Amino acid sequence: MTAAIQIENLTFTYRGRDEPALAGVDLSVAEGQFVAVMGHAGCGKSTLCMCLNALIPRFFRGELRGAVVVRGRAVAESAIREMAREVGLVFQDFESQLVSTEVEQELAFGPENYGVPREEILRRVDKYLSLVRLGELRGREQATLSGGQRQLLAVASVLTLETPIVVLDEPTSDLDPANREEVLGIARRIAESGRVVVMVEHEPEAVIGADRILLMREGRVLAYDSAEKLLSRVDLMEEAGVRPLQMVELFRKLGFAQAPLTLEEGLELLRANKRAVRRGPGPDGGGAGGPVILEARGLSHVYPNGNVTALSRLNLRIREGEFLAVLGQNGCGKSTLGKLLSGLLRPTEGEVLFEGERTGEAARGALARQVGYVYQNPAYQVFAANVYQEVSFGLRNFGVPEAEIKPRVAEALEAVDLKGYEERDPFGLTRGELQRVAVASILVSRPRVLILDEPTTGMDYRQQRGMMEMLTRLHRAGHTLIVITHSMWVAAEYATRALVMRGGEIILDGHPREVFAEEELLASAHLKPPPVVQLSNRLGAGALTVDELARALAV
Amino acid sequence: MFRSLYLARRSAVHRLDPRTKIIGLLALSSLLFVFNHPLYVSAVALGVVGVMALARSLLNLYRSRYLLLLSLLLPLVMWQFFMEGPTVVGRVGPLVLTREALLFGVASGVRFSSLLLVGLLFASAVPVEEFLIGMVRLGVPYPVAFIFSLAVRLVPTFGSVLTTIVEAQVGRGLDLETRNPVRLTRNLVPLFVPFLVCAIRYGSQLSMALESKGFSISAKRTYVRELELRAADYWAFAFLLASAAACVALRVAGYGVIPNLET
Repeated sequence: MTAAIQIENLTFTYRGRDEPALAGVDLSVAEGQFVAVMGHAGCGKSTLCMCLNALIPRFFRGELRGAVVVRGRAVAESAIREMAREVGLVFQDFESQLVSTEVEQELAFGPENYGVPREEILRRVDKYLSLVRLGELRGREQATLSGGQRQLLAVASVLTLETPIVVLDEPTSDLDPANREEVLGIARRIAESGRVVVMVEHEPEAVIGADRILLMREGRVLAYDSAEKLLSRVDLMEEAGVRPLQMVELFRKLGFAQAPLTLEEGLELLRANKRAVRRGPGPDGGGAGGPVILEARGLSHVYPNGNVTALSRLNLRIREGEFLAVLGQNGCGKSTLGKLLSGLLRPTEGEVLFEGERTGEAARGALARQVGYVYQNPAYQVFAANVYQEVSFGLRNFGVPEAEIKPRVAEALEAVDLKGYEERDPFGLTRGELQRVAVASILVSRPRVLILDEPTTGMDYRQQRGMMEMLTRLHRAGHTLIVITHSMWVAAEYATRALVMRGGEIILDGHPREVFAEEELLASAHLKPPPVVQLSNRLGAGALTVDELARALAV
Repeated sequence: MFRSLYLARRSAVHRLDPRTKIIGLLALSSLLFVFNHPLYVSAVALGVVGVMALARSLLNLYRSRYLLLLSLLLPLVMWQFFMEGPTVVGRVGPLVLTREALLFGVASGVRFSSLLLVGLLFASAVPVEEFLIGMVRLGVPYPVAFIFSLAVRLVPTFGSVLTTIVEAQVGRGLDLETRNPVRLTRNLVPLFVPFLVCAIRYGSQLSMALESKGFSISAKRTYVRELELRAADYWAFAFLLASAAACVALRVAGYGVIPNLET
């Protein structure tokens, strides 16, 4: 049986670059397989995807060697339009894939391009709209859909092309946990219907249902084997820069030879081996935090354009020295809360107090200096010719004298581990570095409180750890941190306090140990604790990390 | 969150075929140029407002009231500087006010604001997808129509990107309220650069996505939307034709012109 995708010794170097993006890649994917592609940022995953539908070498020029054969067609000799009949590609940024203002028209666009008969297109629109469970959105204007719905729409708009191979490049990066589950469910359903699915992913939990996993590193194939085998190879996952499955990591630490992949398997294994909790997690250092530094009283906010009530009569007290994680689904109001607390938005009702002082109109600028807000996407702020100009922008606007600016910029850059980057061009930096520059440009104003909106989204495991370690250093240096996130393991491992929001209200507030034990309430906010915490909850161990649970269960 | 101008309503105008509406747009706009006497131009303008009412889209008129007022007054004032008729009615400093120039100015103002109104009417009653298919069926090449519809689809997206950029930079102390024009222009750089970068990146990703869905300028394509001219469309055509005929006849007969004006 011929393989659906056959790649032999593929090497590709983008034009203008010295290093190849892919080096000597060999890969064979059989019909009907679901392959997950994983690896650190820049290892060539997206490049590989684009080699499948002829975007490389037709859209992206460069030096291509080796052979890529998809369903009998040599990709290097085919036009993109031809390959697009065989390979449907869903890109990471869903925003730039949507071309229409109407939901049905969006789904019809692909087949329309190929002159598919009208009745057939309408049949496909119906079918795939139901598959992604967006049936009730018929006739809706696309701008009124939520981010998660638009990603589902983007996936459906590629499905209507009914290509035998579907490639999804990081389809869940910007989505909250509930929407992520939706998209992954759809990927599995597509694979079950007999099509080849190639999916690039970062989160190991997402790929448990895959047939095979391709681990990549620095443009090369590190390993290609069944998902079960590779998911239990912590060493290989780490070498590829991918976060290992928490369950696997835990059982390795406990000295087990086999590694369960799911919660149920884990519980069974522990029971069978008569392993129980022998000790508690140990005291939580740090104490209850200092005086109240930031307070929200009766805070309500309604967005003028859509009449959306983002927050209703919220009360919150944040103490100096806390490291707070704000959790919740997209649209629950967490970003709005962050912006209100930093003075970027004025509340429609209620007030924000900084150190007990009301922050009215005049004081809002001053509040912004004391409470820094770092946006999720650094691209919205970066504009300067070099890192120094970028980081010092705020200081110059606030009238700080030049002589004082230089040392403060150096200090801020050092704090984010970018010492000596002053002369670098911000547009030449990696995503991780750019995010740090964004943090530095807020840090330079020496705010007492730092609010970060999704600081780890879109980053690979190493970058996420790097960012969180940097934030921990800032925390130890005395900053109060508020991190808005949907990454549950990040909140569990780093925060000293967790807030869960739902529908504009706070439904849980406390130390992560308490908060993550409330699985039902978390579920009502469409959240789940990380797998190791779920296991710990079943055992009554009160652990938040793999290490803590391993210690609790050690003989 | 930006809202598009389109108002999803059921009205006689909404139900018309987009081709009818496109022709109507052109026709109404042309009618505004037939006369130059303010009284007659205003009559046409009232007709436009009437169609807007029929389309239940007066909300957009209300929303744009400041813009419309500005477009009414600006030409009126400006023409007094550039035109002088024979009948003087007063002086304001060195400026001579003449009857002909005032009349011309008023007509010009009404015409300009009515052109905007026709545009608003069109945007209120024609969803972009209809406009696209209407243009294509009228013979406009698909890529041209597509670019236009894409631009409209992008307004909310780019609008919210711009809002976020402004919010982020103002949060870092960017002063957008300065009265100094030089400073203000310089302060637009931190808004312009990120926006341009986002737009370029967006354009590049969009091209990739389009190609990956088999988009082609020359290939034969299907259109899921179907158009059908109905009785209402023929009535609309008849109405437009009759109005045009009436206006032209009046003009030819010498009505609707400002007396003593060479133009």
